[in-house]
Amino acid sequence: MNAVIRTEKLVKRFGHVTALDNLDLEVARGQTHGFLGPNGAGKSTTIRVLLGMLRADGGKAELFGSDPWSEASELHRRLAYVPGDVALWPGLTGGETIDVLGRLRGGIDKRKRDELLERFDLDPRKKGRSYSKGNRQKVALVAAFAADVELLLLDEPTSGLDPLMAAVFNECVREVAAQGTTVLLSSHVMSEVEQLCQKVSIIRKGVIVETGTLAEMRHFSRSRIHATVKNPVRGLDDLEGVHDLAVDGLDVRLNVDTGALDDVLAQLAVVGITALTCEPPSLEELFLRFYGDELAAKGVNNGDQS
Amino acid sequence: MTTATMEPTALKEGTLGTLAGTGKLLRFQTRRTRVFIIGWFVGLVGFSWLIAAAFPSLYPNAEDRAEFAVTLDTPAMRSMTGPGEYLDAFAESTGAMFAQQMILWVGAITAVMFILLVTRLTRADEETSRLEVIRSEPVGRRADLAASMILAVLVAVLIGAGMAVSVLGMQGVDAGGALLYGLGYTSLGIVFACLTAVAAQLAAYQSSANGLGFAALGATVLLAAIGNAQENWVTWLSPVGWSQLTFVSTPDQRWWPLALTLGVGAIALWVAFALVTHRDFGAGMLPYRPGRAEAKPGLGSAGALTFRLTRGLMWAGVISLVLLAAAYGSIVGSADDMLSGLSEDQQAVLNQGGASMEENFASTIAAIDGLFAALFGLLVVGRARKEETGGRGELLASGPVARSGWPGSYLPAALVVATVATAAGGLILGLTGAASTGDGAFFGKLLGASLIQLPAIWVLTAFAFTMYAWLPRAGWLRWIAWIYAFVVAYYGELLELSSGAQGISPFYHVSAYPAQDIDWLALIVLTVVAALIAAIGYLGVRRRNLHFS
Repeated sequence: MNAVIRTEKLVKRFGHVTALDNLDLEVARGQTHGFLGPNGAGKSTTIRVLLGMLRADGGKAELFGSDPWSEASELHRRLAYVPGDVALWPGLTGGETIDVLGRLRGGIDKRKRDELLERFDLDPRKKGRSYSKGNRQKVALVAAFAADVELLLLDEPTSGLDPLMAAVFNECVREVAAQGTTVLLSSHVMSEVEQLCQKVSIIRKGVIVETGTLAEMRHFSRSRIHATVKNPVRGLDDLEGVHDLAVDGLDVRLNVDTGALDDVLAQLAVVGITALTCEPPSLEELFLRFYGDELAAKGVNNGDQS
Repeated sequence: MTTATMEPTALKEGTLGTLAGTGKLLRFQTRRTRVFIIGWFVGLVGFSWLIAAAFPSLYPNAEDRAEFAVTLDTPAMRSMTGPGEYLDAFAESTGAMFAQQMILWVGAITAVMFILLVTRLTRADEETSRLEVIRSEPVGRRADLAASMILAVLVAVLIGAGMAVSVLGMQGVDAGGALLYGLGYTSLGIVFACLTAVAAQLAAYQSSANGLGFAALGATVLLAAIGNAQENWVTWLSPVGWSQLTFVSTPDQRWWPLALTLGVGAIALWVAFALVTHRDFGAGMLPYRPGRAEAKPGLGSAGALTFRLTRGLMWAGVISLVLLAAAYGSIVGSADDMLSGLSEDQQAVLNQGGASMEENFASTIAAIDGLFAALFGLLVVGRARKEETGGRGELLASGPVARSGWPGSYLPAALVVATVATAAGGLILGLTGAASTGDGAFFGKLLGASLIQLPAIWVLTAFAFTMYAWLPRAGWLRWIAWIYAFVVAYYGELLELSSGAQGISPFYHVSAYPAQDIDWLALIVLTVVAALIAAIGYLGVRRRNLHFS
């Protein structure tokens, strides 16, 4: 069994609200997996079911091949978790909190802990109640990265961090991933997911609507091309897969399906190219495509004119 | 004059300045504390009304009251009630008797209300940054404090009015007396609101501001008690004492001691308003101390963390029980004096079963101590729920901790806190009781009487935990058994509850040792019941969802 996390038709209801509606998620060992979705889509609920804090109402969830509800405390020895909204004990210092959390797991590597404190620029002598949101998050991050575990569950871990600290965070994730740790990273920071994750799952209203590698997902999407050509170009609008064509003299802009890239580039090469930029679709655009109807319903134009 | 010079003056608004927006904030704060205010009003005034309604029938004629006054005229009893000056007026005025009995404790509870009200309106908001949003609006720097204080004064007036009406029509109370009785509470409320406003400027956190407020209240009650016991000037150092020194509904009735209360309130208010603009937003005036960079070696499990987090409650429990026990223990010796003040018929009733008055009294106070020790067990269980709703438990629940460790360790923590508090109280009760009776055998009797309450305390604590485990959202369910036991203990006879109804309270089954022999079987059954309830609780914690915010 190579899947560290696996859910099949997972259902969780709160009263008559269905938070997770037949959710299928699979994360392979050693993978850094992005978990995308807007607020309220069910990201945190999924993670809490995986942590055995919530009991599933239907379907199956497996963590390391075991039931996350009945085997919770044994499984937790092998993972570390950073909640989206970290609450600390007001009377304990950050250092004490990190030590307690580490010792619950059977001890903490002091060298690693101190190194992480340094890297995250965190003062361990402050009391929990006097930390800002970002610093509370750092306490949980230091505790998680200092732990010697096989799986990291990170629920919007950088939501309160400044860009410098977000960079340190990225570096830490890459390091643990290089050592073979599996990471589930829930986030709405697309650039972070793009940089760190091999695979992405997009959740919407409790259902995984798309899952795959970034390359796979891009395959179904359009690239944006901006070219300056030497001679006027014709016939581009006859090509299958070309959208939003705008020709202004020698200046050509268009969106193209990945399958039609060859034809478009050949056509442009015929007339001669002075300058060419080709942008692959960003994760953000991919993401917005799945939510395009929701945005449209709210009267927001997401730039997709087709 | 150009517009450039006009604008700053227009912004300052000249007349209001740092108080701009006070009226709007007052309405807002009233709106969001209305449940708190109504709850406390109903509790305080309702309690006062109930007692006031029952009081005249307990001591219907002047002779009874005069006899009762004699039993109260010992240093120990005066320290628990009020000044001796009232006692001479008991015969002609039920009102004097009521005031002597009520002002110290109901006044203290009123002060508790105002401490909590003011910290939640001021420092709690600042600590959580709710106030930050308000201050970013066009309101003055002192407006929120001003609105809080106006609200506190209005509530104090309301409480005073309710108290005044509660004694109106009581024998020996005229309209002036009722008004003065009510004003005694209004002025206490105001002075503690003002003192807490200062505490909220000094401390950076709601909990420490509450702590300062309660410390001031503790000193106030203690000074009044000492002064009344020794009948000297020490009472004059205490705001609660000032309310007592009005000698309301006695021939010596006077109003001016309350001017002292209001004067101190005014000074405190001025200090608070001065401090609020002399400090940074969010900061206190007390120095900040950094804590430990690393946890102590012992802090290595969920259970150890639970004990660490409930340490404060443990100390609060031990100190409260020690003080309570010292107060009661010191008057065990005067139980016989009380007896001599009673008629022969009454002595006969009290001497049933051949036990001495002192022994009867000892078993009663041990039961009361037990009831209060259980309170701290329940408070610890309440902490478990706070850890959950506050989201901190999430960090633990994601660790390799079984549910029996977290939140399960809150039951052993609660049992230990209640047990240690009971034992500490029993020890002090034994020591002070033996000293006041001059009979060394009382040490063992009082300690034993305290310790046999433990099984009943465990039942109540386990019940609260089980309610937390199965029905966490219904917080009142955790308290219902304790409240029932309290009503049975204090009012069971008054309300003429049947023995079946009284038997629901676990304390009902604890023998009245040393007045009676100990019924060991009942204690064993109670312990088994506690264990069963706890087992059901652990089943519940394992089964339910954890609700993190």
